[in-house]
Amino acid sequence: MADDSASPSPSSASPLQHHRDAIKSSVHNTSASRRREQAVAIGKERREALIRAKRVCQAPISGSDEAEMEEGDMVVDEDKACLEAKTAHAVEELKSALSNQGKGAQKKKIEVLRDLRRLLSQPGLPLVDAAVKAGAVPLIVQYLSFGSSDEQLLEAAWCLTNIAAGEPEETKSLLPALPLLIAHLGEKSSTLVAEQCAWAIGNVAGEGAELRSTLLAQGALRPLARLMFSSKGSTARTAAWAMSNLIKGPDPKAANELINVDGLLNAIIANLEKGEEELATEVAWVVVYLSALSERAIGLIARSSIPQLLIGRLFSSENLQLLIPVLRGLGNLIAADDYMVDSVLIVGNNIIDQALSGLIKCLKSDTRVLRKEAAWALANIVAGSLEHKKLIFASEAMPLLIHLVTSAQFDIRREAAYTLGNLCVVPTGNCELPKIIVEHLVAIVDGGALPGFIHLVRSADVDTAGLGLQFLEMVMRGYPNGQGPKLVEMEDGIEAMERFQFHENELMRNMANGLVDRYFGEDYGLDE
Amino acid sequence: MTNADAPPSLKQATLDALGYVCEEISPEDLEQDQVNAVLTAVVQGMNYVENSSDVCLAAVKALCNALDFAETNFQNELERNYIMKVVCETAMCKEADIRKAAFECLVSIASIYYDLLEPYMQTLFELTANAARVDEEPVALQAVEFWSTICDEEIARQEDSQEFGAVSSSCHFHFVEKAVSLLVPMLLETLMKQEEDQDQDDGIWNISMAGGTCLGLVARAVKDAIVPLVMPFIEGNITKPDWRSREAATFAFGSILEGPSMKKLTPLVHAGFDFLLNATKDQNSHVRDTTAWTLSRIFEFVHLPITGFSVVTNANLPRIIEILLTSIKDSPNVSEKICGALYFLAQGYEDAGSMSSVLTPFLGEIISALLATADRSDSSNSRLCASAYETLNEIVRCSHISETLNMTVQLLQEILKRLNQTFEIPIASSDDKEKQSDLQALLCGVVQVILQKFSSCHEKSAILHFADQMMVLFLRVFSCNSSNVHEEAMLAIGALAYATGPEFVKYMPEFYKYLEMGLQNFGAYQVCCVSVGVVGDICHALDNKVLPYCDGIMSALLKDLSSSELHRSVKPPILSCIGDIALTIGENFEKYVPYTMPMLQGAAELCFRMDVPDDDSIEYRNELSRSVFEAYSGILQGFKNSKSELMMPYAGNIFQFVELFLKDKSSVDECVTKAGVAMVGDLADALGPNIKLLFKESNFHSELLGQFCQSDDEQLRETASWVQGVITRVLVS
Repeated sequence: MADDSASPSPSSASPLQHHRDAIKSSVHNTSASRRREQAVAIGKERREALIRAKRVCQAPISGSDEAEMEEGDMVVDEDKACLEAKTAHAVEELKSALSNQGKGAQKKKIEVLRDLRRLLSQPGLPLVDAAVKAGAVPLIVQYLSFGSSDEQLLEAAWCLTNIAAGEPEETKSLLPALPLLIAHLGEKSSTLVAEQCAWAIGNVAGEGAELRSTLLAQGALRPLARLMFSSKGSTARTAAWAMSNLIKGPDPKAANELINVDGLLNAIIANLEKGEEELATEVAWVVVYLSALSERAIGLIARSSIPQLLIGRLFSSENLQLLIPVLRGLGNLIAADDYMVDSVLIVGNNIIDQALSGLIKCLKSDTRVLRKEAAWALANIVAGSLEHKKLIFASEAMPLLIHLVTSAQFDIRREAAYTLGNLCVVPTGNCELPKIIVEHLVAIVDGGALPGFIHLVRSADVDTAGLGLQFLEMVMRGYPNGQGPKLVEMEDGIEAMERFQFHENELMRNMANGLVDRYFGEDYGLDE
Repeated sequence: MTNADAPPSLKQATLDALGYVCEEISPEDLEQDQVNAVLTAVVQGMNYVENSSDVCLAAVKALCNALDFAETNFQNELERNYIMKVVCETAMCKEADIRKAAFECLVSIASIYYDLLEPYMQTLFELTANAARVDEEPVALQAVEFWSTICDEEIARQEDSQEFGAVSSSCHFHFVEKAVSLLVPMLLETLMKQEEDQDQDDGIWNISMAGGTCLGLVARAVKDAIVPLVMPFIEGNITKPDWRSREAATFAFGSILEGPSMKKLTPLVHAGFDFLLNATKDQNSHVRDTTAWTLSRIFEFVHLPITGFSVVTNANLPRIIEILLTSIKDSPNVSEKICGALYFLAQGYEDAGSMSSVLTPFLGEIISALLATADRSDSSNSRLCASAYETLNEIVRCSHISETLNMTVQLLQEILKRLNQTFEIPIASSDDKEKQSDLQALLCGVVQVILQKFSSCHEKSAILHFADQMMVLFLRVFSCNSSNVHEEAMLAIGALAYATGPEFVKYMPEFYKYLEMGLQNFGAYQVCCVSVGVVGDICHALDNKVLPYCDGIMSALLKDLSSSELHRSVKPPILSCIGDIALTIGENFEKYVPYTMPMLQGAAELCFRMDVPDDDSIEYRNELSRSVFEAYSGILQGFKNSKSELMMPYAGNIFQFVELFLKDKSSVDECVTKAGVAMVGDLADALGPNIKLLFKESNFHSELLGQFCQSDDEQLRETASWVQGVITRVLVS
């Protein structure tokens, strides 16, 4: 914006040339400007009303226009007590409308549901509590009875969705409603109703393992899975979101059951192939939980086109929401099934190049989760063939990893150290010490990674410290011209190792003492 | 100047030059020793004994311009005493021009150095009182102006202390209150010095007008205390045979109606009201003029039906209306004041709900009378016509619409007919052109008010029938003015767009070019500003259908923002307008993000960088900040459901801006705070878990929001609790 500091009011000239306004003046002098100010004020009011409506409105599903803007949705400027009283009243109305018969009864039912739903959609105001205490849930269940109109079902499910989004106790109050909500997920329901029910169920499932197992016992999984096949984007998305809440464990039973649903992989593939990122995001979460919990799912997914689709997304998207589950899903697959590295990410194929540049992008990201998961995935890839090591060694990932191992937070540092360590060795297959790739080792040490590893040696976590020690061992053994020990000494490595002299962990103690004895024993220093 | 041998003409020219330089530059441009040198030269020049009168006059004028620089010198008692002594002596110089210039200096000193005036007030009172009474009019005017300025200062101080409670940094010496018993008689005396025919001429300024204006300010400064000092004068003169006495008494009455309490005024006004109504038939036109004006002041200040205080009752209303509608046919100057009376009479019923029904039976007559007044051909200037139409607007605005629906529709038809007739006016000169344009402005104004009235009470259907006709007329008004876009027609179109809603899209192809012209009008920035407002109206009306026009509109707006030529007051509305657009077109705003965000960041930085030496600047900074918040809010809410990730790269920056702003306790404006708080919510609402860290790492929001949740402002409270809800959702996600 141009920064003009010009005098704001050119008209305010010195009063000496111009006299002040006379008290006795004609009305038109002020009235026209007042009228214009009013026009401006009206514009401002409209803007505020509009944006407030946008804020207050919690649109349930993209398919229903009605949710967008409605004067009635703007319940504003009322204090909490008043709103609570209103809520209680709305629940009362719910009860009396049930007994209504005859003309207008149907309309009335929808109206009372809508009133309650609007109150429950109030952001920041805990009216759910008031509604539950007033006994709303059992009443709403009656509105969900079979044969009710779609509009009525939609409003009722919407109310329940809002209640389920409340505090844990409030969510649990939905228990009596679950069978009907699940029933309305089925093929006979309209998509809008099914989607709204999925939303409510997703909220319930998100609450905890106990409610998840209840939902599973009542058969929520299969209809929800079928809903994921929907060609309507928002329906598939809501269903996938609810599904990921339902199967997130820790019990792997649900994930194992899901992978056995016919056509599931095809549905995941079809949804990932669509352009829509929000849909892809929710589906990717389903992949995350499947790959984390079900061996069978891992094998099937790794051998489908899903890894390719995920890698495509990893490569092309900048959307953090999407990148997180995509990366985590891929990481799970790579870590759990060698098939991924051996047969999917084949060096020389386009797919590994895409995967690598996607991972490098994540290593550079500002988001900690992405850096960590990317380092983890890389660590598993470099555990593969020599070609994989060479490819990654030559890539942009190297300097990034060295940077991470010296400066990142602990957990990322460890993953980076693991990757770098793996880059330097070829497993020999037997119990001997692994063979060192000297070129890689030299580059990593010369790149400044050594202090990072020595820092790890000082870690309280035994595994991590062991990782550091292993690397020091390689440096001292493999760095050309016997320079290794000196390099380690210069970075205070001896002191770091000596801390293990009396360590309670025997393995570590022996390893550290062995190293110190071997490389810094009596003969050390005599050469000079 | 300090060269004793320099010829007087050189000295005079030097002082003139110094004066001009001082007028143009600002205090921080000069070092103190330079200021000292200027003051020395100027004060030397003011020595009347040693210098010619031309040199002396030039010196006084230069001093007047140099006063702004003399802060340090005024803080020093010795120097201040000396400067004041010289100015006071000069104010008694035998040359009237020099005396006038010296009083002008005193006026400036009163405004700049009020805090330092106390030791001199006795002297200054004597000087000014004497000059106001007996000196030549130009000098007397400045003497009165001195007191008006003192009143300005004290009124501002009182208002500040009311606004900010008892703690006020500026001192208040109550000079007016202390001098009031001597000051008021002096001012009352000036009221008797009217000129013949002064009411016929626009913009005339003489001692009686200055005196009355000052009396009005004194009333606002000392409130109830003025009443006993003025009442004897009114009672003693209002029935005298001499018209000057009657006029002065009426003028005094009208002048003191703002300031004193209702309790004090009500009995007086009740007692005098009948007399005044009758005085509209006084034989003297000056008296009738001032009477009509005083009635308008009574309706402005002593007619508040909502609070139960009003001089108007159901019983006297018919008589009031009858008298006003008779007097409106009086000479043009009187008629104009009667318009004012009707204006404020109607205004009393603004937002008064069903109370405004009391006017309904008279509206037909009033509207006809005003239309007839607007048509009068016996007035040479356009003030009467303008007053009549603006009064009509107020009548419409404050009417009880459900009772006046048909009448208002009829009025609309009449106005449209009149607007159509303006195209028939023969145009022979630029004067004719201007008259045509002015008349069109007034008529468009009426249409705008009618449209607003119908829109605000959900009676739009009654007028949508005329939408096509209105639009055709507005477009014709535009095409009458090839060089400029007609501001009032633009405003009326904004109102029409709001009334018609999405239907307005059919007018866009024709209208768009004028809108674009308006947006590109850097020179007449008011036109640009109004056009920006209309963009907002159109967005609200058209919703997504505005999309095809957005490229053009956005590029015009961005150009406006980067222009250093455009008046700065337009820039905040433009930023808010961009928020409107983003909110309206949602994800389609994506392509403008790379251009818009740097502008917003620039504006945000400016908010912190700019100097705020005075209230105007503070207000501007507040407006700018608020508009930046509104723009961000619009964009965030617009992207919420689809492309919120686009805003991720900016989140840190936005958050930092609002954090810095809200932490700054000097920003006390609630509207800005509200906009900022709401924007924090929008940020959380749109970006959700992605910016969890921002909220986790900063604790300002919990602290501040807690504070705002306790606010007295209900809307702020509501907004803050909404924001808290959204943030909580983000943090637990």
